[in-house]
Amino acid sequence: MKKKKLQTVKATVSEMFELPKEITLNMPKINLIGNNQMLVENHRGIIEYTPSIIRVNSTIGLIRVQGEELHLRNIAEEDIMISGDIKSIEFI
Amino acid sequence: MIFLRVWNYFIGYLVIRVDGLSLEKFINLCVSRGIKLWGIRRISYTSLNANIGIKDFKSLPPIARKVHAKIRIMNKKGFPFILYRFRHRKMLLTGIVVFMTTLYVLSSFIWQVEVVGTLKINPDIIYSNLEKKGIKPGAYKGKLDTWKIENEMLIEIPELSWVSIEFKGTKAIIRAVEREKPPKLLDAETPCNIIASKDGIINQILVLEGDALVEVGDTVRKGQLLVSGIIHHEDMETIRYVHAKAKVFARTWYEGRGYGDIRDVLKVRTGRKVTHKVLETKEWEIDIDRKDIPFDEYEVEEREEPFLGISKLGWISWTIRDYYELTTIEQGDGMDLAKEKASERAMEDAFKRIPKGVKIIDKTFKYDIIKDTGYDAIVYIEVLEDIAEQVELLTN
Repeated sequence: MKKKKLQTVKATVSEMFELPKEITLNMPKINLIGNNQMLVENHRGIIEYTPSIIRVNSTIGLIRVQGEELHLRNIAEEDIMISGDIKSIEFI
Repeated sequence: MIFLRVWNYFIGYLVIRVDGLSLEKFINLCVSRGIKLWGIRRISYTSLNANIGIKDFKSLPPIARKVHAKIRIMNKKGFPFILYRFRHRKMLLTGIVVFMTTLYVLSSFIWQVEVVGTLKINPDIIYSNLEKKGIKPGAYKGKLDTWKIENEMLIEIPELSWVSIEFKGTKAIIRAVEREKPPKLLDAETPCNIIASKDGIINQILVLEGDALVEVGDTVRKGQLLVSGIIHHEDMETIRYVHAKAKVFARTWYEGRGYGDIRDVLKVRTGRKVTHKVLETKEWEIDIDRKDIPFDEYEVEEREEPFLGISKLGWISWTIRDYYELTTIEQGDGMDLAKEKASERAMEDAFKRIPKGVKIIDKTFKYDIIKDTGYDAIVYIEVLEDIAEQVELLTN
């Protein structure tokens, strides 16, 4: 309960000062270019990787990307770049 | 992104295949240890391909052991591996070194000397002077003190007022500015007369010293005495010799002739051109740069240039042919253009003789039509100029 209150305070403060929320709230930032390139910043590792499904862990839960011929173009501590034919993105 | 690719190629990378059951864990471990992976592709349930930097590869085995994965190198890509392949080819290395040194050595010599900016002086004078000072094809650039040579040249060639020597690669460019020759001045004490340097009608006469013999409006001929340096004093019966000084402005005429041929103007260059380069000796020639000429009508300008800029290789030279496209204009316009051309040429011709700094008062054109071939033009230019010329007076 207390944690949730802290989150809302953080959200209002960052809203007020126009601070980037992915830093203040520690959330993933997802960048999509069309349906063939996706950049996930601030991730917490990869859970599953097959050509048709990729599951990426993050602070707000799992991000599931489904598609065809998916591959990890780039992977570093901060970000993952997924390219391929992206069909759907879900937050579970 | 392209920069990253070039960089990766430059430092070299490996394409690896990882076989194992928990490949996601492998990726996560790599990431958490700061190992960069890119271009990851899952081949099957138990294997994936990835690219990895050379240095990072060394820290892979402990990770692989942890997740029970097997790593194989599929391919080695990049510049370091190409170098590695050539490590036993000593002659190749020597060749590269020899090539580089030859290039360096050859580029530290002058292979071409060019003189720019000479108008009246024969450039050969400058060339021979340069040769004496060591600027000639085949000379070593490093030891030349251009600043000193420039100064020496200015002293030795009095016609030059400024000169600069610049090296552009293996070419030495000498820029020269010529000096205007100062008029011959007589010593202010020497008695002298003033005569007319040209035919003309006196417009204005300003005598500073001496006895004026002509008046405004007089027609004078070249060489005629204008202001005398001998002054008679009638009442004292004495003669005084003075250094006559005067400004005598007279109207003079210059004539220029020009001919405009209709065939010259009917065909006008459109500005498009094609260049052929031919390497030529006495026996054979090679086309280096042969293209089709896409023009219906064209004219050719041919010029020769020394091969590699070395005039000593006299038996081999470039022949460069410029093909200029031409178009035809209509006959009626053609005659007008020929007339224009003729007057332009006539003016040019006249201006060759007109000294600098005079005032042009009037000009008249006279045309002769030469049927169907062109125009003959004569221009008379009337100018106002100082025709005073001092000549020494021989007193005895």
